[in-house]
This record gives sequence, structure tokens and C-alpha cells, in this order.
Amino acid sequence: MAEVIHAQDRRRLLTLLGPAYLWLTLAVFLPLSAMLFFSFLSDMPGDAPDWGVTLGNYTQFLENPTYATLLWKSLKLGVTVTLFCIVIGYPCALVLAKSIKGRAREALFLMVILPFWSNSLVRIFSWAIVLRGNGVLERTLNWILPFDIRLNLMFTTEAVVIGLVHSYLPYVILTSYLALQAIDDDLIDAARSMGASKLTILNRLLLPLSLPGLLAGAVLVFVPVVGSFMEPRILGGRMGTYYGTVIEDQFVAVYNWPLGAALSFILLAVVLVILGAASPVLRRART
Amino acid sequence: MTKGLLSLSLLALTASGALADEIRVLNWQGYGTDLGWSLEAFEAATGHSVVHEYFNSEQEMLTKMRTNPGAYDVVLINAAYTTQAYEEGLLAAIDTAAIGNYAGIPANFAEDPSLVHKGAVYGVPWTWGLTAIAINTQAFDEAPTSLEVLWDPAHKGRVSIRDDAEEAVHLGALATGQDINNIEDLDAVEAKLRELMPQLRTFWASENDWNQFMAAGELDVASYWSGSAARSAGMGLPVEFVVPKEGAIAWLDGLSIPETSEHKEAAAQFIDWMIDPEFYVKWDAEGAPASANADAAAALPDDAFNKRVLGDPEVVKLAKFRAPMDDATREKYLALWQSLKAAQ
Amino acid sequence: MSPIALLGRIWLVLILIFLYAPILVMAAMSFNASPFYQLPFEYSSKWYSDMAGNEQIVTAAIRSVLIACAVTAIATAVGTAASVALFRYEFRGKRLLQALLFPPIAIPWLITGTAMLVFFFTIGIGRGTPAVIIGHVALALPYVIVTVTARLSSFDVTLEEAARSMGAGAWTVLRRVTLPWIAPGIVAGALFAFAVSFDQFVVSYFLSKPGDSTLPVLIYTAIRKGFTPEINAISTIIIAVSMAVMFLAARYSKFGGDR
Repeated sequence: MAEVIHAQDRRRLLTLLGPAYLWLTLAVFLPLSAMLFFSFLSDMPGDAPDWGVTLGNYTQFLENPTYATLLWKSLKLGVTVTLFCIVIGYPCALVLAKSIKGRAREALFLMVILPFWSNSLVRIFSWAIVLRGNGVLERTLNWILPFDIRLNLMFTTEAVVIGLVHSYLPYVILTSYLALQAIDDDLIDAARSMGASKLTILNRLLLPLSLPGLLAGAVLVFVPVVGSFMEPRILGGRMGTYYGTVIEDQFVAVYNWPLGAALSFILLAVVLVILGAASPVLRRART
Repeated sequence: MTKGLLSLSLLALTASGALADEIRVLNWQGYGTDLGWSLEAFEAATGHSVVHEYFNSEQEMLTKMRTNPGAYDVVLINAAYTTQAYEEGLLAAIDTAAIGNYAGIPANFAEDPSLVHKGAVYGVPWTWGLTAIAINTQAFDEAPTSLEVLWDPAHKGRVSIRDDAEEAVHLGALATGQDINNIEDLDAVEAKLRELMPQLRTFWASENDWNQFMAAGELDVASYWSGSAARSAGMGLPVEFVVPKEGAIAWLDGLSIPETSEHKEAAAQFIDWMIDPEFYVKWDAEGAPASANADAAAALPDDAFNKRVLGDPEVVKLAKFRAPMDDATREKYLALWQSLKAAQ
Repeated sequence: MSPIALLGRIWLVLILIFLYAPILVMAAMSFNASPFYQLPFEYSSKWYSDMAGNEQIVTAAIRSVLIACAVTAIATAVGTAASVALFRYEFRGKRLLQALLFPPIAIPWLITGTAMLVFFFTIGIGRGTPAVIIGHVALALPYVIVTVTARLSSFDVTLEEAARSMGAGAWTVLRRVTLPWIAPGIVAGALFAFAVSFDQFVVSYFLSKPGDSTLPVLIYTAIRKGFTPEINAISTIIIAVSMAVMFLAARYSKFGGDR
């Protein structure tokens, strides 16, 4: 990797990076900066003549225990879903990258993402049909098994986890696959010829080398899950209130953008701190 | 011959485009204004075409009006929000003389203080309805008469209410015998709702949820809207709407014209069309809320839900109309509701 | 086949069943007569004929596909370029630029969408399909960049150096060495970008012109009154067509990264 010193390099860097970050600035950063500004206001300008600058929206987070309770609940949900995605998805990527060859691999690669070219609401309601009492899952199990079974999965935290793991699993599978497939098979053969067991190869070779991919996938799962509210609402029923729900309410139920924005930026800050704290630990784990 | 000439000249007028506007309507999806057959007939009669945009919450409707001046000509506004929209200067005064069917609207609706400001009309009463409870008729031998059925241990885990702070608090107020527009003992409401939480199977957010959960046999009784209950029953669900003796939350929806509309005359024509008895009778056959136009309500067949149930004077007595609510109260209710939900 | 390899394949099949369970249910329900998605199953092709007669759904679906294609093309190109730059060069502020990819993912889309609505209104971009595409691309970009970077992180720079030492120019190196190597990452990024755009309702909802709704907007606004299995019918057709296109793509191209 080259340090940018030459003018020519700098020009290249700008040409490559410029479009993406200009685009993000125009469509995301500037609008979100406006939101950040709103989050320090007592009222929306234009609606209340007496609006002023305040930290009140942020202190509300500390004063009202509801927000902290729900943020903690959402973080736990994020960790649970991410762990399940890794445990389920990584072996799947391993098989896809190292055991399946040729055309089948291309087809399977596409098949992993295809379910997500559908509408998320339709998918969630389909899960509801699967999980609900006397739904598809119970009917199938009762048909296979000799005894009657009642799962009562619908409207539980388990249902929320199932729905979210389903929605985000492809990120872990594909990013892990991208990293695993990049590992030279000769390297594995060499390790094997030196007498390394399968477990050693996985632990000492495959896992460290594919960690960047796995982590990228984990981040793409954890970050949005912490702010999710749609899946929890429909599948979680009475248990489905999370931090994303209270943010949404500030925009939908009451017209309190300043508080809604403040709650979102607290979420963002917490997520960034967690990612920041995790990255040195993970980097050490890699070496 | 003259008749032929007349229709020809009408055609010419229409085709010339002088009178043909495109009216933009902002409403909930599937809420009366966007029925295909009605829009075709309206276009044939007036030459105006109608385009729709939808909202999913009252707050969003207000946001859309604020950020899109000139984009809408007719907006559906719940009367509890009309005053706020008026105070923000979003609405135009409506010339009711241009709306022939306006005469059919009884004074209690037409003179609603939410819709009339300084003698000018800012919303034409269109529909009204009740928020009460609907039961799964298979789960009851006899329809309940009291809201207490939601708290009945016999139906534990088979109850649902809407995930909406205002509605939850209003239900709690009715159950504790309080005025929904002036709740004196909010702690009692909170305690009553806290008792309700373990009874709940889930919350519902839309008619879609409600119908699917009810059809799947998950629920015995749930809060519901009158017009929706009629529609669900009409589509074959074993559902009966119950107006409990404690009362029911009543709402009034009006049609308004934004201040920035560029087609105010055409908009008034469309509103006239919407409160027309002939249109309403046809709409009601597909499942509609009650009409605010007495002539339209009277034109319904006797067995229609909106005449049989909502036309019943005993029921009308139980209706408690929602008054406008200020932001601080709304936020207080939301905080209460969120803390109850977070404790689950 | 070794027992471990067999076990691996069984695992893969189980995961595919899990991934496709709701899709199969969605497709099955498009042939189920009940408007409330009631079981037991009773065959009907009613929803397909209803859907075919529903001009609103069909135009919205076509519009959604076209927007998603445009978004995929732009986001993939722009995002891949940025990934290459972030991988190749060390410079001050790089960590910040990488951290900046997270706000669009972490902040719920409802808030980002509202912010875009207010901002676009203020600066005069207004509403319409261009605004929708601008918004979608911005939301898809982080997914493309993270995915392509994940692939690049295991790229062996010596390959490029070797090619250069043999006299290949910058473009040749990019075209013949770098791009083929990261192709699987680009394909994955493009697939995610399509999924993000195709499922995105908040931004489309706030930024499209009245009457110009996309499929997710139609579904999202229909939920209040209740959507019918017509939605399942159109979704099933879209998935079936995408599957056919994808299998053709898999048949005639190599992007899985086989060496």
C-alpha cells in the first residue's frame, strides 16, 4: 500500500473516492447534519416562535429510563442475531467456498441473495404464517412427527430473532465467502501435507485469513438490527418494543423531530463506540 | 338533436382542457377517494382526473403538506388535527356555496369547532366512525356489553389493542369512567393499562394485521374501527362490532383544501362528489365508514351496518368525539405508553 | 465424499431451506384463495388475474425494477472505485471516511428519509424519480463499499506489482488483474445494492411524485387497509423471473472466483 505522496496519486485518489463521497455528502451527510442540528433544538423552527438551542433532548435519554432499557434490549438483540448469523452463516460460506466447485457454486452464490429481491413486509408476514399457531411450521412438524406438538413461537422474542437472522444471514454468508474463496487452496494443501488437522487448518489458517470478510458481514448485521423496528413489531407482538420503535414514534405518532433525531444520534454514537472498542481486540485476535 | 348538440359542446369543452384539471389527493390508501369506478365517473362528469398520494400517519400527512406546497388539492384530515393544520396556515377557507351536497351535513358536524375558524370552513365533514371493540363470534356465546371483556381472565392472551398511545390512553379513560378529552386521573389510566398488558396477545397496527391475526384464530377480542369491522365481516370473517356501555371513541374525518392548491374549484367539485349520497351508497356496499352527510346516511338500505348500528340513537349517545390535542399532552401519552410497552 | 464434506452439504441444504421458507410460503399464498392468508390451503389463480388487471401494481413493479437497475449500476460503479481507493492508498482521514459509511446503515431509514425530504425540499432538488435514485444510491453505497472492501482485503498486491513489472500499464493492470480478482465482491455488492433499492420504501415514499409510487410504497401504504395476495402474486413473478435471469448469468459467466 502506497502512502499518498505524488500529485498523480492524489489525483487518482480523488477521482476514485470523489464520486462516492460527494454522493454520500449530498444525499446523506448534509441531510443528517440538518437532523443533528434539529436534535439540539427545543422545537422545530417555523412551528414554534420560541425555539432555542438546548441539550434537553439528550438529557431526556438519561432522565427517562425507558430509552436506556430499550437501547440495552436492542443491543442484546443485535448481539444475539449477529452471533446466530455467524454460527449459521460461516460454515455455510466455508462449504460454498471450499467444498463446492464449478457452476454449482455460482448458482448457489446467487441463490443465497435471491430471497431478498422481494419485499421485506411480505417476507415478514410470510414468517408470521409459518410461525403462528397452527401455521405452516406446526402443521409440517405434526405431519412428520407421530405426536402432537405446539410451539407457540409467534409473538415471542424467538420469532423476532428468527425473522431478523433470516433477513441478515446473506450478508455474513457472502462476505465470508468472498474472503474464504480468496484463500489459495495450495496453502491449505501445504498445511495438510505438513500434518495439520482439519481443526488446526480452520483455526490457524482459514479463520484468521477470512476474518476481515466475516467481520464486514457481522457489522452489516449488527448495525441495522440495533435500529430495527418492523420485524419486532410484527413478529414480537407484546414483546416487540425496541429502541427503533421509540425513535419511529417520535416521527410518526408525535411531531417531535428534535427528540427523535437525538435518540437516533445516541444510537449511532453507541454503535460507533462499540465498533471502535471491538476493532483493536479483533485485530489482535487476527495476528 | 339539441341534446346531441349539448353533449357535443360539453365534450368539446372537456376536450379543450380549459376545465380539465388534475386533482391531487392526499389520503390513506383505500379510503374512499381512490375507488376506480368513482374516479372514472367523476372524470366523465367533470373532466378532471384524480391522482393520489398516500400517508401512513397524521404526522406524516402534515409533514408532506408542509414540505410540498402546491402539490395537493384535496387532503383528508382527521378533525382532531384540522385546527393544527389551520393554525400553521396550511389550509384554505372553503366556499361551501360551491358544494351542493354541503346542505345535507347536519349542524353538529358542519359547525364542529375543529373545522370552522373565524366563521370560515376549513374542512368539509366527510365520514365518521367509532373506535370500540370487535369480537370473534366463535369465541363468544353472547356478545359482551362492557369494555371489561378486554380485562377478562377468560380471554387472557387472546386480546389485542392498537399500538397507538392516544388510542390506548383513551380506552383506559373509558374503562376508568373518565372523559377522554379531559383525563383527570392519568395514574388510574396507567394502572388500568398495566393490568391490560398481560392479557394481550399482540398489538395491531393496521387492518392488515388485524384481519390476518383474527383469521388465524389468534384473537378473541380486539379494539377496532367501526368501518373496518363492517368490511372484515363483509369479507367473511366471523367478526361482530360491539359498542360497550362505557362508550366509544368517535372520530370525524374531513376533506380540506390546502392554501397552496392551484385547483381550488376543481377540488371543491371533488369534495362535493365525495359527499354525494349516490357515491356513498355505492361505497358503503364495499365497506365504508359512516357518512357525515345525513342525506347520504338516509339513502342507505335499512340492513346496512352504518344505518343499523351507527344510525342507532342509543349508539350515537355513546360516541365520545375526539377533541384536538396539544403536542405536550400527546407526548405525555406517548411516554406513558412507551414505558408500559418497554416494561414487557 | 468425506463425512465432513457430506455434513457440510447437508448444512448448506438446511440453510437454503431456511432462506427459502418464507419465499415458498409467499409463493404458495399467491395461489391460496383466502384473502386473509388463511390455512388450510385452497387453490385459486384469482390473485394472478386480479393482479394482471391492476394497472397500479404492474406499473409500480416495473418502475421499481427499473429504479433498482439504475441504482445497482451507479452504486456498484461508484462504490467499487471508492473501495479500490480505500484499499490502495494510505492517507490522513481514511479511518474517518470508513467510519462515515456507518451513519446511513445505523440510523433508521425513516430518519434518513425524513432528513432527505426536508433537505431536498430546501435546496430545490424537489421530488421525482431522479431524487429517488439519488437517495437509493446513497443508501446502497455503504453496502457495496463494505462488500468490495471485504474481498479486496485478501488481495495480494504483489500480483499487481508483478503485472506492472512486466510492463503492463495502470489500466491493463486494473482490467486484467485487479477487477477479475474482485469480481465476486462486485457481484455480491451489486446484488445487495439491488436488494436495498428494491425493498426501500421510506425514501421512495417521501421523494417520489404523487401517482409515481414504487412497489414497496404501494405495499407499505396498502397495509393499513390490508393488502391482498395480489402482492404475493407479483412478488412471486419477480422472484421467478430473477431466478431465471440469475441462472442464465451463472451459466454463461464466471464470477464466483474460480481459478
